[in-house]
Amino acid sequence: MPNELEQQVKPILLYNDECAVCRRIGAWVQKSARNKLGEDTLIVRPIGADPADLRSLNPKLDIWDAYDTIHILMINGTMKTGGEAVAETLRRIPCCSWFSWSFAVSVGGHRPFQFLLSQAYAILSAIRPLFGCESCGIQGGYLKHVVSLLTRPSNRQGFTAKKHRTGLISHRPK
Amino acid sequence: MITYEAENNGDAAAESTGGDIIQTADSSSFATIVLDSSGAIAVEFMSYGCVHCRTLEPVLQQAAVILQAKEKIVRVNTALEADLTDRYDIVGTPTFIMFLNGLEVGRADGPAPRLENILKIITQPYESLRHYAK
Repeated sequence: MPNELEQQVKPILLYNDECAVCRRIGAWVQKSARNKLGEDTLIVRPIGADPADLRSLNPKLDIWDAYDTIHILMINGTMKTGGEAVAETLRRIPCCSWFSWSFAVSVGGHRPFQFLLSQAYAILSAIRPLFGCESCGIQGGYLKHVVSLLTRPSNRQGFTAKKHRTGLISHRPK
Repeated sequence: MITYEAENNGDAAAESTGGDIIQTADSSSFATIVLDSSGAIAVEFMSYGCVHCRTLEPVLQQAAVILQAKEKIVRVNTALEADLTDRYDIVGTPTFIMFLNGLEVGRADGPAPRLENILKIITQPYESLRHYAK
């Protein structure tokens, strides 16, 4: 484990590595969150599967909550979640600094750009399984199956879920 | 028989414990905790990243409190325990396997996250065995 994690000298962005969308975004953030000196401006790490490991980062951090919404752990011991975490992440990515200031703009006590960002995150979070999520058991390209079903009625009888690469398929509650 | 009073007691007890009362088994401890144990043990194969498991979790905590005198509930994290997942042919989470004296006696996958339903799927295999044993 890197020293940065132990000393918490940089914010830690947690991402769901069982979700294809989150994994790709996490990889992009990791690549982009470097300043001109080549130093990482935040630590990007998967949530993992160990509740105790997460609590060692922040005693208030619950693994179920971590998987439910994006979390960024600040160096002062606080946590930001959801749209606030996305804004904090964007502030720390040099190529996004030209617009990320806008999330702090307040108009009449409201932050319109932060509101829009939070709504956008909520929508992406809700539909991300459609783009591939191992934890939800939905394969990448799931939308292709949906389109196929809608456009080729003869396939409906033959459609069965296939095991994805980790061998797990979650069932929706009956 | 599950009574309304028992459900209320479960709510209160779950709140009073305020934490996780379900033991987690891994591949090294599974034999000791489940297979070599006598009595009824329900194993939930789950993943922390699974939204259905998350929905089920508070209900399962209540069920664990209600059933703790008769049946034990144990959790296996499929993200970490690929061997156990393969060995028991788990194709989705959450999946429950009910063991009695180390032998599988029942299985349920993707149960609806309602307390009465969880209590039913966990207790039904044992109730059936008791019925036939009479």
